[in-house]
Amino acid sequence: MTSFQSTIGDEEGIAEELAEGQREISIAEFFEKNKHMLGFDSGARGLVTAVKEAVDNALDATEEAGVLPDIYIEIEEVGDYYRLVIEDNGPGITKEQLPKVFGKLLYGSRFHAREQSRGQQGIGISAAVLYSQLTSGQPAKITSRPKGQSRAQYFELIIDTDTNEPEIQADEETTWDRPHGTRIELEMEANMRARQQLHDYVKHTAVVNPHARLELREPGLDEPMKFERATDELPAETEEIRPHPHGVELGTLIKMLEATESYSVSGFLQEEFTRVGKKTADGVIDNFRDVYYGRELSWSPPRAHDDRDVASAVSDAVANKGAEATTAFAEGVAETVGNNDRISRSELADIVDTVAETVEGDTGKTFGGTVRENAVDAGWRAVTGGDEADESAESDDGGPEESPLVPDVYALVDEATSTRKDDAAVRAMAEALARRFENLDGDAYRITRDDLERLVADAASFVAEQRDATFGETARENVVEAFWSRARTVPDDPPKVKSIAGDRDAAADLLEAMRTTDILAPPTGCLAPITAELVEAGLRKEYDADFYAAATRDAEVHGGDPFIVEAGIAYGGEIPAEGSVELLRFANRVPLVYQRGACATTDVIKHIGWRNYGLDQPGGSGMPNGPAVISIHVASTNVPFTSESKDALANVPAIEDEIELAVREAARELKSYLNKRRSMQQRREKQDVLGRILPEMADKVSEVTGRPRPDIDGALARIMNNVSVEREVDGETVTLVVENHSDVNEQLDITDIVSTEPTDLSDGTVVDMDGEWFVQWKPEVPSGDERELTYAVGGDPEFEVSVGGVETEKLTVND
Amino acid sequence: MTTESDARDELIDLAADFYDQFAAGSIPEMTLPTRTKSNIEYDEESGVWTYGDRTSTRSANSVRGARKLLKAAYTIEFLANQLDDDRSSTLRELYYLSESWNNDEAQFSSQDESNDLVEDLEIVTGVTREDFHMRPEESGAKVMGPLELREQTNRGDREIHCQLDVGQGGYQIPNNPDTIEFLDNDAEFVLCVETGGMRDRLVENGFDEEHDALVVHLGGQPARATRRLTKRFRDELDLPVVVFTDGDPWSYRIYGSVAYGSIKSAHLSKYLATPEARFIGIQPEDIVEYDLPSDPLSDSDINALESELEDPRFQTDYWEEQIELQLDIGKKSEQQSLASRGLDFVTDTYLPERLGEMGVL
Repeated sequence: MTSFQSTIGDEEGIAEELAEGQREISIAEFFEKNKHMLGFDSGARGLVTAVKEAVDNALDATEEAGVLPDIYIEIEEVGDYYRLVIEDNGPGITKEQLPKVFGKLLYGSRFHAREQSRGQQGIGISAAVLYSQLTSGQPAKITSRPKGQSRAQYFELIIDTDTNEPEIQADEETTWDRPHGTRIELEMEANMRARQQLHDYVKHTAVVNPHARLELREPGLDEPMKFERATDELPAETEEIRPHPHGVELGTLIKMLEATESYSVSGFLQEEFTRVGKKTADGVIDNFRDVYYGRELSWSPPRAHDDRDVASAVSDAVANKGAEATTAFAEGVAETVGNNDRISRSELADIVDTVAETVEGDTGKTFGGTVRENAVDAGWRAVTGGDEADESAESDDGGPEESPLVPDVYALVDEATSTRKDDAAVRAMAEALARRFENLDGDAYRITRDDLERLVADAASFVAEQRDATFGETARENVVEAFWSRARTVPDDPPKVKSIAGDRDAAADLLEAMRTTDILAPPTGCLAPITAELVEAGLRKEYDADFYAAATRDAEVHGGDPFIVEAGIAYGGEIPAEGSVELLRFANRVPLVYQRGACATTDVIKHIGWRNYGLDQPGGSGMPNGPAVISIHVASTNVPFTSESKDALANVPAIEDEIELAVREAARELKSYLNKRRSMQQRREKQDVLGRILPEMADKVSEVTGRPRPDIDGALARIMNNVSVEREVDGETVTLVVENHSDVNEQLDITDIVSTEPTDLSDGTVVDMDGEWFVQWKPEVPSGDERELTYAVGGDPEFEVSVGGVETEKLTVND
Repeated sequence: MTTESDARDELIDLAADFYDQFAAGSIPEMTLPTRTKSNIEYDEESGVWTYGDRTSTRSANSVRGARKLLKAAYTIEFLANQLDDDRSSTLRELYYLSESWNNDEAQFSSQDESNDLVEDLEIVTGVTREDFHMRPEESGAKVMGPLELREQTNRGDREIHCQLDVGQGGYQIPNNPDTIEFLDNDAEFVLCVETGGMRDRLVENGFDEEHDALVVHLGGQPARATRRLTKRFRDELDLPVVVFTDGDPWSYRIYGSVAYGSIKSAHLSKYLATPEARFIGIQPEDIVEYDLPSDPLSDSDINALESELEDPRFQTDYWEEQIELQLDIGKKSEQQSLASRGLDFVTDTYLPERLGEMGVL
């Protein structure tokens, strides 16, 4: 099956292409041929798919209108057919919109948008309409009541299968008890064999849309299935975004370059991509220059003792400018050059320009383009040892004349290689390298990093051959890095967009530059994650479990589309303990019902070692067993499915990684819950056994020694590493002794309810509640320590102490 | 050692300790020396091996520990009552008797458990189990030799001569040999023999009469009573003691428990061990010298020998030399292998030669 992933960013999707290619045949025939891809391959599945598409639509419509969804689904048997009714409380629909939304196959506003939404392809509901029409011959019956209107509108709609044009057959006013919303009624050939999938779909929709109220009636149900909402919070509104530079592929980039109205690369980047401003664009362009043009190697300017002299070289190159201006110019250039550790030819040109302008200002002489060029050439020869080197560099075997670049190259090679390298080898390497630099085209020593790497490797193998000295991979890398980091990005303007668009290599260079530039992750405003809190609330609502955990990851990018993965786990309680755990899969808040085995989420779950998290997993891999529900939600502007029917997520490594991290995050909480539960259970068992044994032992020793039975509560509390709260009443003074025998500090919340008014509290607060006094302390008791909480009370009071802040298993109260 | 009423008081004191611990709000516990090989030390003064300073604590802090202490409380009660009634019982009877206790948690799950507990109580109270009136199921072994003694029995005192008044089997050592009083003897030395077959051979050959030897049958790992009596022969009659066993690592341990004390009863070493006891054979050296029929050492034999090299009780030049020799030749021989030289070889040749070498004869 074709992966939808491959069409990301393309102008057209597979389905649309298919449809276009099939214009000559009728749309009915097209549908017939492709219905397996659209989820209508059987009567059982068709019904589920129709419900799914209609409910997805209804949810999107209500959310877009800012209304909390209230959706009613009814399936009835009508003779040989089934009638499907879906009602929502959305904004309703106008007659003009109607054919577009329900009628025309492949109409969809979302298809080009990078925005998270349920229906991505615009195939869904119209395919359901067509399916119903083709199987039952009945039109789709649509009732709509826009907000604020007293009457509703009733339409009947069929699709002309020859032209793929919808036709409204009936249009009349009617009454409807919903204040606003849309109702669609479809009759189709179907069966209820997929009842379980239908129930799962609706239940899972409720889990993942805790803000929605859902109701399902179908012939097999005695009572309608109702799902109440768990939150009144609508999902955050999403906004469209442009693609992210890290996500596009070369083909897409070329298409974007061809289509853009921007003239410059900078404008193109800022205009067409998200998270690219002037600064980021400049960063990308600098990287692009490095890849496309290469950098210029830089060299040390001549020092005082060198026989080369920038000032006199420049001075000689200038004619007819008068001694004063010439000297000022030559000395200005020489001084600025001398201030640099290293300099490239372009930098020298810059310096010459700057100094020339200054001198022009000071002296009134004009230093024109030719003069400046001559000055740059002369100065550059002085820096690099110019002309004579060109001639000596003809033989590769190290002629008697040494390149003037050698000392500079030697210094860098020496610095970059380990001190253990033989000096002769380093020198040989420097000479070999310098010769190769001399052979570069032009005199600016311009080279790309790839070429530099090749050149260094070549020199290294030459040295290895000649000198029997090895320059290993690390040494070579260090040498490359030493030169590259000192090389200068060239000032040349990048080529214009049009020429890059026509030059595949240049476009590839641009793509590489985009990928190597640090760019902020795409904004997540285009995504509406459920949020960990509501993932948990959704599970909590539909599964009566002992434990819930959820995690939402930060947004990541795949194919220029940001995505967010969320995972939730429910454990224990009423969830059946037999068999494997239940996996709920969601994409953009839509439950995935079919093709579980083909889904990336399933693969990820199977590869996690669940034993580590306290779940049973026969053989250490595969679906874990036990009373757990795992839900995974992938929200993206473009969810990669394995097929058009949107049943299973494709195996995209970036997304799989995030799924794994999200699941593991939630699973870690499960693990600590299970560990704690296990330790509490052990503690309870220990407490049970010791609670039986120790009194018997105390009885026995009192019997043997002939003494009264000892009080063993203190010993018990100590054994259980417990917190013990014991009341001592001495006359009018009441003392609660809190002893912490556990190995952690305990933050307790102690309330003593007293029937007469207490006075002289040691600390804490007292509240009078209708003749009962609530004395409250919140003592922190360090491990192994104790606190005394005292107050005075008259008469013959009754007490009742309650202790919070510590598990009951860890508490011994002796009131 | 202790008297019987002392024994009872010690037990009650232990119960009272538990009581006081409860009453003070602390966790009842019982501290014992750690009973492992690494925690036995040579006691210069007495020349035996006893427990070192390392201790283990049986605490009610855990379910296991609490069960142990509960069982201890029940056992204390049982023993105290037994002493009150002047009755006695065997270790095995204690194990079965626990079934009659009204508390499932207090019942012993195996006889090892009840045996261990009685040993724990011995150690903590400093009272021997004989004084608790507890005896082992297997009674002590037998003595044959020129010795006259008086034994207190349930049926009154009996005066017995261990050659003249006994049959071929010899005098049966009672469970508590401290009830024996030595009257008269002509013995020259004590010969402890591991196997019953060899003892019978010596008696049949008249070795005890010929050499005035007290032949003590050890019967494998010797019972406490046997070891106690051997020690009394040495201490009270001033007789040299030699130990005659098979030539394998397991038999050296039998010698070790006679001479140095056993790891499990190291608390009683001063009472049971006879540090002057010497090993007569079969020595690894003898296997070579007499060219005795032998079996190859098994892996477990080798492990046992190596473990003996580490055992503090065997860290003497003599034993290191012998054990290393045995590991070297890779052979072991039984006492009976001497029969390969004829039935009288052991009594006529081997023993007299070895005893002569050792300066006993």
